[in-house]
Amino acid sequence: MYRKQVRRRRAVLTFLIIGSFLLLTITYGQRSGGLQHGVSTIFSPLQSAADRALKPARDLVDWFDKTFEARGENSRLKDQLVVARRQAVAGQEALQENAQLRKMLELDRDPALASSAYEPVTGRVIARSPTVWQSAVTIDVGSSDGVKVKDPVVSGDGLVGQVASVQGGSSQVRLLIDNASAVSAKVLPEGVQGVLRPELGDPEDLVLDFLNSSRSVRRGQSVVTSGWRAQGLASLFPPGLPIGEVTEASIVQQEASQQVHLRPYADLADLDLVQVLTGGSRG
Amino acid sequence: MIVTPRIFARLAAIVIVAVLLQLSFFSRVELVHVSPDILPAVVISLGLLGGSMTGAVSGFTIGFLVDSLLVEALGASSLVLLAVGYLAGLFRERFDIHSALVPPLLCMVLTLVAELGFGAVQLMLGVDAPVSVLVIRDMLLKSVYAFFLGWPIYFGLRRALRPALVEESRVSRRRQPTILGAR
Repeated sequence: MYRKQVRRRRAVLTFLIIGSFLLLTITYGQRSGGLQHGVSTIFSPLQSAADRALKPARDLVDWFDKTFEARGENSRLKDQLVVARRQAVAGQEALQENAQLRKMLELDRDPALASSAYEPVTGRVIARSPTVWQSAVTIDVGSSDGVKVKDPVVSGDGLVGQVASVQGGSSQVRLLIDNASAVSAKVLPEGVQGVLRPELGDPEDLVLDFLNSSRSVRRGQSVVTSGWRAQGLASLFPPGLPIGEVTEASIVQQEASQQVHLRPYADLADLDLVQVLTGGSRG
Repeated sequence: MIVTPRIFARLAAIVIVAVLLQLSFFSRVELVHVSPDILPAVVISLGLLGGSMTGAVSGFTIGFLVDSLLVEALGASSLVLLAVGYLAGLFRERFDIHSALVPPLLCMVLTLVAELGFGAVQLMLGVDAPVSVLVIRDMLLKSVYAFFLGWPIYFGLRRALRPALVEESRVSRRRQPTILGAR
């Protein structure tokens, strides 16, 4: 009797292990879409309801965490505020000058700019992946709202990621910090270009890789999407979307490994409302 | 564990609620920059309560649901969680749980095993991006959170599944630990 139980147990375990490997094989054979699509469609209303029900509890935990953190952040923010004020004044002057120049030159928006074709669709984050190895969120807008795979996703602060899969009423967004994420970006104002990759495990650190310029990059410079267009192909992201600020840019690092580090503007660890830029180019 | 249709329904509800709670709540709150992961603790608790088969099957199911809902590589989470569920069940079948500290301690240790296992599976599947040392902090803190969350999870699940559990007071569990497969 006992031996029979052990045999049955081993058979079930073997079956489950083979099942796992089979699922992995199906995934990498690109045939798992229908299965995942079905499960996601069934569960997305439940996720949406759970998200709304659990929001007060989440806010409470966030409040404790943020209060704890705020003490250390206060002095850093004061310093940043002084710099930001100066930049705001300079920005206002630039805006005024820009408006005058536009009026003078009667400059229209360039029709070739991909950004003009984008229609923002606002969505709420309803679920998030539990591991640092895969960074994805589920949002409550999907194909019925016009969302398509590979649409760029932004928050109020900047680029967040892109849509990885879509169901009727929900979509999965692969964040900038996901291991499969790669975005072509440039450093302002020089326009030094590179490919933005995550550093797994650290949501506040991105790496701008393969810098293709001899010009050096300095700490504090802004990084935006480059939004290239060449030979009928176009970047998935419109040009000029803010991504982050350069935090580490030593000359040695740039010369040896052609990379600099930056901190994303968007708080990728704490997303609530995002916008999907629908209707743009898909390369 | 005696699995009747009613207990099966309870187990299914536990699995679904755990996945929804993880994705909609625990993954979205941070304590010291790390989100708690209750799923290994739930699988370990089910393994400790129901044995290796219950642990393995619930681990596989929870992993499958998570991978499906997040549209990630199917099978990766299943493989890791079924392994920790099976290990927890084996522990229960071979040793007595003498102290109330055993379940949370096991949750801590096996959550670390699950995190390492998940990292290993991801690396085998191919990770193009550089890996920060903060991944280690993430793994360690998740294990510490599992210790504190493991206690209410284990005793909550024991209460929910009580009708299916063999009453420990009625059965003498003072026998020596036996090796699986030995007569």
